[in-house]
Amino acid sequence: MSDMVRKANAFEILNHWVMAISFFILTITGFAFLFKLEQMNAVFGSFHQMRTIHNWTGVVFSASLFFSLFSYLIEALIFTGEDAVWLIKAGGYFSKKMKLPAQGRLNAGQKGYYLLLLLTGGAIAASGFVIWLMPGVKKWILISHLAHNISFDLLMLAVPSHIYLATLANPGTFRIMVYGTVPLEWARKRHARWVQKMGF
Amino acid sequence: MSTTKRKSLIISPELCIGCRGCQTACKEWNQLSATKTTNKGTIENPPDLTPNLFNRIRYLEVPSETNPVRWLFVSQRCMHCDDAGCMKICPAPGAIYKTKEGIVAYDKEKCIGCKLCVAGCPFNIPRYDEKNKISKCHLCSDRVAEGLVPACAKTCPTGAISYGDRDDMLAKAHAAGYQKLYGQADLGGLGTLYAFKDAPKVYGMDENPAIPESVVFWHKVLKPLAYWGLGGAVAASLLHYVAFGPKKDEEVK
Amino acid sequence: MTNNWIDIKNSDVILVMGANPAENHPISMKWVLRAKEKGAKLIVVDPRFTRTAAKADIYAPMRSGTDIAFLGGMIKYILDNHLYFKDYVVNYTNAPFLVNPDFKGPGELKGLFSGYDEKTRKYDKKTWSYQMDEKGIPKKDPSLKDPSCVFQLLKKHYSRYKLDTVSSITGTPKEKLLEVYKTYASTGKPNRAGTELYAMGWTQHTVGTQNIRAMSVIQLLLGNMGMAGGGINALRGESNVQGSTDHGLLFHILPGYLPAPTASVVDLKTYIEKLTPKTKDPKSVNWWGNRPKYITSYLKAIYGNNATKDNDFGYAWLPKLDEGMNASWLMLFDQMFKGKLEGFFAWGQNPACSGANAGKVRKALAKLKWMVNVNLFDNETGSFWRAPGTNPAEIQTEVFMLPAASSVEKEGSITNSSRLAQWRTRAIPPIGESKPDSEIMNELYFRVKKLYKTKGSKFTAPIMNLTWNYGEKDKEGKIKAVDVHRIAKEINGYYLEDLFDNKVTPPKQLGKKGELCASFVTLQADGTTSCGNWIYSQSYTQKEDKVINMMARRKKTDTTGLGLYPEWAWAWPVNRRIIYNRASVDPQGRPWDPKRAVIKWNPNKLDPKTKKPAPGWDGDVPDGPAPPMADEKGKYPFIMRADGMGAIFGPGLADGPLPEHYEALECPLQENIMSKQRINPTIKLFYDKGKGSPEDIFISCDIRFPFVATTYRVSEHWQTGVLTRHQPWQLEMMPQQFVEISEELAKEKGIKSGEKVKVKSARGEVWAIAMVTKRFKPFKVAGSTVHQVGLPWCFGWQYPEDGSGGDSANLLTPTIGDANTMIPETKAFMVNVEKA
Repeated sequence: MSDMVRKANAFEILNHWVMAISFFILTITGFAFLFKLEQMNAVFGSFHQMRTIHNWTGVVFSASLFFSLFSYLIEALIFTGEDAVWLIKAGGYFSKKMKLPAQGRLNAGQKGYYLLLLLTGGAIAASGFVIWLMPGVKKWILISHLAHNISFDLLMLAVPSHIYLATLANPGTFRIMVYGTVPLEWARKRHARWVQKMGF
Repeated sequence: MSTTKRKSLIISPELCIGCRGCQTACKEWNQLSATKTTNKGTIENPPDLTPNLFNRIRYLEVPSETNPVRWLFVSQRCMHCDDAGCMKICPAPGAIYKTKEGIVAYDKEKCIGCKLCVAGCPFNIPRYDEKNKISKCHLCSDRVAEGLVPACAKTCPTGAISYGDRDDMLAKAHAAGYQKLYGQADLGGLGTLYAFKDAPKVYGMDENPAIPESVVFWHKVLKPLAYWGLGGAVAASLLHYVAFGPKKDEEVK
Repeated sequence: MTNNWIDIKNSDVILVMGANPAENHPISMKWVLRAKEKGAKLIVVDPRFTRTAAKADIYAPMRSGTDIAFLGGMIKYILDNHLYFKDYVVNYTNAPFLVNPDFKGPGELKGLFSGYDEKTRKYDKKTWSYQMDEKGIPKKDPSLKDPSCVFQLLKKHYSRYKLDTVSSITGTPKEKLLEVYKTYASTGKPNRAGTELYAMGWTQHTVGTQNIRAMSVIQLLLGNMGMAGGGINALRGESNVQGSTDHGLLFHILPGYLPAPTASVVDLKTYIEKLTPKTKDPKSVNWWGNRPKYITSYLKAIYGNNATKDNDFGYAWLPKLDEGMNASWLMLFDQMFKGKLEGFFAWGQNPACSGANAGKVRKALAKLKWMVNVNLFDNETGSFWRAPGTNPAEIQTEVFMLPAASSVEKEGSITNSSRLAQWRTRAIPPIGESKPDSEIMNELYFRVKKLYKTKGSKFTAPIMNLTWNYGEKDKEGKIKAVDVHRIAKEINGYYLEDLFDNKVTPPKQLGKKGELCASFVTLQADGTTSCGNWIYSQSYTQKEDKVINMMARRKKTDTTGLGLYPEWAWAWPVNRRIIYNRASVDPQGRPWDPKRAVIKWNPNKLDPKTKKPAPGWDGDVPDGPAPPMADEKGKYPFIMRADGMGAIFGPGLADGPLPEHYEALECPLQENIMSKQRINPTIKLFYDKGKGSPEDIFISCDIRFPFVATTYRVSEHWQTGVLTRHQPWQLEMMPQQFVEISEELAKEKGIKSGEKVKVKSARGEVWAIAMVTKRFKPFKVAGSTVHQVGLPWCFGWQYPEDGSGGDSANLLTPTIGDANTMIPETKAFMVNVEKA
């Protein structure tokens, strides 16, 4: 058994799960609203109940989004030269021979993804609250309705890619969500600067 | 099987005498409670549609050259759009629906009280009752389903509110000299048509009513993008996997 | 109505003056608008721009109470411009009649007609007579040139109604007057018809009858009477008020407009001699010459077998008015106020709100020993003793409430303004303890009868001898349940004997004993027929042994295309849909306007049974079967008049044979612009020169009450609102008493729309919400500005319960009536408006 390094603490693991599950529920119910999927009555009892679930799940999602700030925001906001190279080389995902510079705990893609999530998630949460709490205020509702749906569309594009990259595309990544740890070797290869900084 | 034709009302302010029999008949048929009002210096009352007032007469005073005033009586109510903004934006299946006669009706049981329809309506019609359910004119869809005339049209003494097959009604109005009726083509054609002798704005109506642009954009672009986007992202991932495969540790140097 | 509701659609010009059909007779507007769609012009003359005015082609504002000046100007315009229908005027009106040369008009006598007695405030009508020829027929000048002829007198009388004068009285701009005159006078052509719609806006004035007379003169000049789309049409204010008037509602008439007898008319013979109009002109039908038949058959109907030839058919049992006695509304309440009445049945009415000078009415009620309120709901009348400001402990009146069934809870007939009697079935049984009126009367009748029987009285015969065969009887002889069909049959009348026409050989049987009368044509003066109301004879009849309720017919055939619908229900008389229709044809019987032929003489007509030639009329039921006037056996068209002619000159009225403008009792002017006589000289003054009770006070031309006021109804409420104020849906639309005032007056007084104001008259005060509007404009009267305001009388203190509705505008109106009818003048009086 090789040495393991901790990439995520217990709180981060929990928060990520909370976010993932709430996101999943919101997406399903969201789709049900968007396309008036009557079959969902069978799952949620009624659309009225589903609306309640959607709204309160939205609260949970918003909370998890908020808590994620402590874990990722500062790092995501620091843009380094390595990040630029990483981006130019598209993370090496489109070539088998690409040589990438050493990365920190988060590579540029992960930083970008987090910022996108923060932006769209924030927008979808804020607009969701407006729709929920300011019913009938036409001007605000129309803006929020638009924002909610644009964010949703962006999330629909981004989240599947995130899941792919964290599972199939990078075997061994998913265990972070379970254990929070990765093999040292695995980390060295992907986050060399971070490992270095950690003193391994 | 008989094909049901689209039904509509034609409101003719020229024939309206402002007696408000329609206001009462509507309340009677739909058993809507009354609001305690006061006189605000006008006979127009209540001052706006309410969840218990599906149809009201507006008394508009516009300047006149020959008389002290030109007094117009115009019925305000749901327009039963063919392309109904309320129905479009409504997230609850079956809450707002169209009957086979083209009526924009609703099912309070299925309404989830989100009030998005309020934002989607170009005419500011839907109201919400004390149980937070949509409430508006449904063209007496229950009467219509039984082959009866809506209560307002039934009671109107002068024919200012007339009801029938939309095509026939339009033809009759054209024959009577109304070249174009308000709502004839707007929003896919309204189910409540108005025979105006002047510009719609004289009667307090929008010249070109339309569903809010953002709702149209949402409906046409964002809605399909949601599933194409999701589907596309998943497909792209799979494609990538097939083309490039997973990142193996040895490759990551 | 001379015509009918539907007939309005046949008009070319519709003049609405003294009415507001869009708000008070909404259904009639269907026909007005139908006419408009065909190109008719709608003229609305009203002090206020009403919902009807909103539909008008021409709207002319006019100060309340100046209709005669307005119409007088129109008469002058028609005469000056030769726009009258000459053939019609010469042949069908009394225009050619020569009048007593001693007759003098207001132009010569400072506003009075000849024969006025200042002390009695009455006219001696001796000089208002015609010059008679040796046969006793009025002398005529068909050239209309004789200075004594009616036509010339008319011309002379209205020459004073110059445009400037009229405009200065009415406040109507001259160009508006001309526009109205020109448009309406355009119906003087044979192929054009104009109609007039009026209601309380004309009757509720001290000159109410003359308002309508003035229009009759115009309609006769223009040849509009008898025509489809013509006539003078009274829009009755309640669905069955026509029926109740027909059946003797008013104090001075018995059912069928037979005069009520007075004390000096001691027996039936005197009644017949004194009250039957006579003519010596063979061409005049003089239908009222049949009065002996109608009064006798009426007596037979009400007293049955108790009425015999020997006892004068029970004539003595009829109640009699004292000579000169007036028992009209205002008088009744005046008597009540003076404590002269013990008891009062307020049956289906709410005088505490509807009565003119309602404050006096409310005080009068407190003088009663007992009152019975028969109504659907308790109202301000039944609860007068607990009204705000009254102390119940001080009021001794015992009040009983009898709950009545509503119109849908009982079967029976309703007669609308078209004189159309329509049978209605019961929709639901009466609610709770309520009973149909007939059942309440049945109870009363048997209880009173029983009291008379057991306790006796001075004069029991009228009650004891009454027929009351309206259903199955119980042991005590009481009718268990009233069968309204039996009442309807009694009204129609029966043949009491086999009846033969003995003028033909062999005598032809007209009727079988015990059968229902065919029509009033077969009624007899010898007691062999009975008929409760001759004008309703034929309404419930028998044909070939089959009993037919004509009022229940519902067939929609319209052969004339005029909307007469002769097989829909039944109209009096004898199902005639347009009365005076003989005036719609020329003397040869050809319609003046073939496009809207009401009737037409058909010399080739075949008898439908025998197929033999039987010349007769096609179309509506004609005013009598006689051939057209030019025929040897022809008759004059106006069969109800002794002289057979339309009356341009009307000597029958109390206040003059030609309408003359007088100001309302309360008016803004010191002097009548027209003459020295300010108010109608023949009205009964309840308060004069300080004499009379303070409740009857009136204050004219006084700075304390500077504004003209009028009252009206609104579509949202019914009469005093007893039915509609309990209806939250109606209250939602019309929640509170309001007063409409012009923007100009509001500015002057610093009043804002929607705020509470006080409206005061010499008699009372009400609060109202100010409705500041462009629909009222100040009038230019006699060179100065006169403001007018208006308020509805549909509110009352009792309901809505929180008092938020306000109270009746009749608290402001004066105690004064029309010179002929005593209808109160509630449409023109003076008030002040102040911020509350």
